[in-house]
Amino acid sequence: MTEATAAMTNKHEAGPNRPATMMTAKFGEISIDADKIITMTTPFLGFPDSRRFVLRPHGPESPFIWLQSLDDPNLAFVTINPALLIPTYRPEIPPMILDELAVKEAGQLELLVILTIPKGRVEEMTANLLGPVAINPGKRIAKQVPLDPTRYDPCWQVLVSDEGTNP
Amino acid sequence: MLILTRKAGEAIAINDNITVTVIEMKGGQVKLGIEAPRHVAIHREEVLTRILEENKRATETTGDLPALDAILKHKKTA
Repeated sequence: MTEATAAMTNKHEAGPNRPATMMTAKFGEISIDADKIITMTTPFLGFPDSRRFVLRPHGPESPFIWLQSLDDPNLAFVTINPALLIPTYRPEIPPMILDELAVKEAGQLELLVILTIPKGRVEEMTANLLGPVAINPGKRIAKQVPLDPTRYDPCWQVLVSDEGTNP
Repeated sequence: MLILTRKAGEAIAINDNITVTVIEMKGGQVKLGIEAPRHVAIHREEVLTRILEENKRATETTGDLPALDAILKHKKTA
């Protein structure tokens, strides 16, 4: 980890527009465009040492987007635009978080929700609606936003949602 | 841990801009009122714990996703 990160950091310092590379657990060696790095204003809960991430589409036609940590090659979340799951999902973002992400209103943020996919049981995939990731795409800063647990399910069943009682 | 005893209606002050007031005690529950500047994050602790646990579970996600794409397409057309 340290070698890959160090190599990347060195190249990054040498020239901000020059792509660096990093060895990751899921994708092998990836190239990193310094202009695409997203910095967490607050780290993900449980992962305090990872602040820098990149978004990697799973494939050209795929709705899935990986959030790969640049500070920990082993850390990657698979996410999806919640609008693809629940068109009405427009959680109220607290004012302090709008401040933290340097926007005036929630509409300026892009949202992703993290998916949990049990190994070998893809059909039990759940989406974390309680803690969406809000991204300011212009400033490339992001934060996981804790919402109201009485309204949002951290384990929302993606594939049985039609029968569920979730929002 | 600093431990303070308070009655209903009494408060504690944290720095000069945060006040936590005991509003009511009833049925084994304490109702608290919190006044703080808007940049101070206040959450029920279990919400953060729940999100942390789910983040940990999510990182065990398999990297084998081609099957998923098919499932989601199926769901949309269902």
